Amino acid sequence: MNKLLNKSLKSFTIYALIVLAASVPAYLYLVDSIWLRELDEHNEIVADRTDNELNKLELSETELNQSIVLWNKIQPGTNLQKTTLEKNRKDSTYTVSRKNPYVTHEDVDRFRGLSRVIEINGQNYLLTVETNVEETEETVVAIAILTFLFFLILVVGFLILNRRLSVKLWQPFRNTLASLKTFNLNTQSNILFKKSNILEFEELNVALNKLIEHTVSVYNSQKEFTENASHELQTPLAIIKNKLDILLQKEALTDRQYQLIEDINKALTRVSRINKNLLLLAKIENHQFDDSETINLSELTPECIEQLQEHFANKDLNLKSSIDEDCVVTGNRILIEILINNLLLNSIRHNLLKGTVEVKLSKSGFIISNSGRTALEQEQLFKRFKKTSDESSGSGLGLAIVEQICKRHQWEIVYEFQQETHIFKISF
Amino acid sequence: MKILIIEDENELADSISEYLSEENYLCEFARTYNQALEKIESFHYDCILLDIMLPDGNGMNILEELKRQDKQDGVIIVSAKNALDDKIKGLKIGADDYLTKPFHLSELAARIYSVIRRKQFGNSNTVRQNELEIDLLAKTISVHNHLVSLTKKEFDLLLYFVGNKNRVISKSTLAEHLSGDFADMLDNHDFVYAHIKNLKKKLNEADCGNYLKTVYGTGYKWEG
Repeated sequence: MNKLLNKSLKSFTIYALIVLAASVPAYLYLVDSIWLRELDEHNEIVADRTDNELNKLELSETELNQSIVLWNKIQPGTNLQKTTLEKNRKDSTYTVSRKNPYVTHEDVDRFRGLSRVIEINGQNYLLTVETNVEETEETVVAIAILTFLFFLILVVGFLILNRRLSVKLWQPFRNTLASLKTFNLNTQSNILFKKSNILEFEELNVALNKLIEHTVSVYNSQKEFTENASHELQTPLAIIKNKLDILLQKEALTDRQYQLIEDINKALTRVSRINKNLLLLAKIENHQFDDSETINLSELTPECIEQLQEHFANKDLNLKSSIDEDCVVTGNRILIEILINNLLLNSIRHNLLKGTVEVKLSKSGFIISNSGRTALEQEQLFKRFKKTSDESSGSGLGLAIVEQICKRHQWEIVYEFQQETHIFKISF
Repeated sequence: MKILIIEDENELADSISEYLSEENYLCEFARTYNQALEKIESFHYDCILLDIMLPDGNGMNILEELKRQDKQDGVIIVSAKNALDDKIKGLKIGADDYLTKPFHLSELAARIYSVIRRKQFGNSNTVRQNELEIDLLAKTISVHNHLVSLTKKEFDLLLYFVGNKNRVISKSTLAEHLSGDFADMLDNHDFVYAHIKNLKKKLNEADCGNYLKTVYGTGYKWEG
């Protein structure tokens, strides 16, 4: 995942790179033209001086010729030659690159030249003045290096700023995020966002507060509804049940009528159980169970198994249990009993005839596995009323309750299907 | 035997009374908290069925009032709440039993039977039916003065039947009684049949009269 600020950093960096790269030719053009103009000026000054000084000397023809020869020999960058060109010919400037004969390296040097016709003692001479000028390539390299340096400074600056901004600028956002992360709909601990003087963040906080308030109230009313509905159903259910009991006592019932009553009874038992389980779930979610008891699972588990012994026997199941001593947990005894019973009952109900059940208890966890044919759907398994097998009895809440109880005790429960065996693993 | 039914739900109170009155129990009603207080002050009951959620008060206070007046009436709390706290508190204050709605009337009758027996017969709590003698305290039975050993579940079943004499009790009701909360989670109720078969066999072998009759194929009735 990318951080938001890194995204903007990337764009900024690319933009800076483009701008700086474009600045290189611009700088080069600027520097080069200034350079050439200054050199032209310099050459002109040299030419003017040469013209003036040579004329001031008022040398004789032979002296002049000797001086010119000497001049041409020792004066670097200038040259005087007799010419037939007109004196009022326009000065010409040129740029030339050639090897420097006085240095050993093979480089080619660039020269800026000026050629002008001057008149000495009535004779026209062509004066050329040449000055060494920095080569374009060298200028480019220098500018590029400098530009790159600036680019580096920019990027480093961006990075440092970015880090600072992300700490400072986004602090209110981080605060909000941290409070949100601690929020748990179940515990409904009140969430308090730190006040921010940034408009956007304050708006976010207000919006979040509204959302949370709404969620909590919906959640509460839903929970209340479950609890109240389950409660209210108990009495009518009790009435139906009792009336059936009375009906059963009426003489002259036919077998068929008895069977009907019995069928209603069974369905009614299921309804009552769903009702009870919904109530139980609501109560677990409402934290109506004290969870500070110390429970010795090494004692509780065999008790639960013992209670169901006849049902294991009924289906001819082979029960293997390995229970480590002194596995003690902190929690609610009733809930943990329900947890173990639900898992055990499932292992009986969803087992094959003459299948196996294995119960393993250790200090790190509780594992219960039983033989079966096909894997159950992981995702649906712990959801309410999601029947993962075609078996019709049962409330469809057993595993949802198991999961809730695990959650309540901060245990982790996983389901696996391996080698035709359903495995439920709880890690304490 | 006098029973006071403290219950605001008329239908429920009527059903309970109808079922119990055939057992020679005399049922009286109290629909509200105040009515209940009046009744317990003026009369003695063998057993009081107490719904703790009354429209005008908490049933727990009635329990406390009974204790304050040092009354010996047996009390069974009947509650729509399956709250353990209430159960523990109720039993601590002096209730003899606790039953959660919805319940079978046969279950209620069996519990009333036990509570009354316990309250009134103290140390020599035995029930006799011809050659059969049940010792409720020691949880043993003897036929023709010979001890017959029963499992805990078989004894439990027998007591349930005796508490519901001449009543038809269906297999599913017995399954609920025997396995409590698990009954509906089990695929079949054959385990009930197994226990009954064993009980019948043991009684039969001890030369006890055939009081336990099968009716409608899967229902049972204890005649006496």
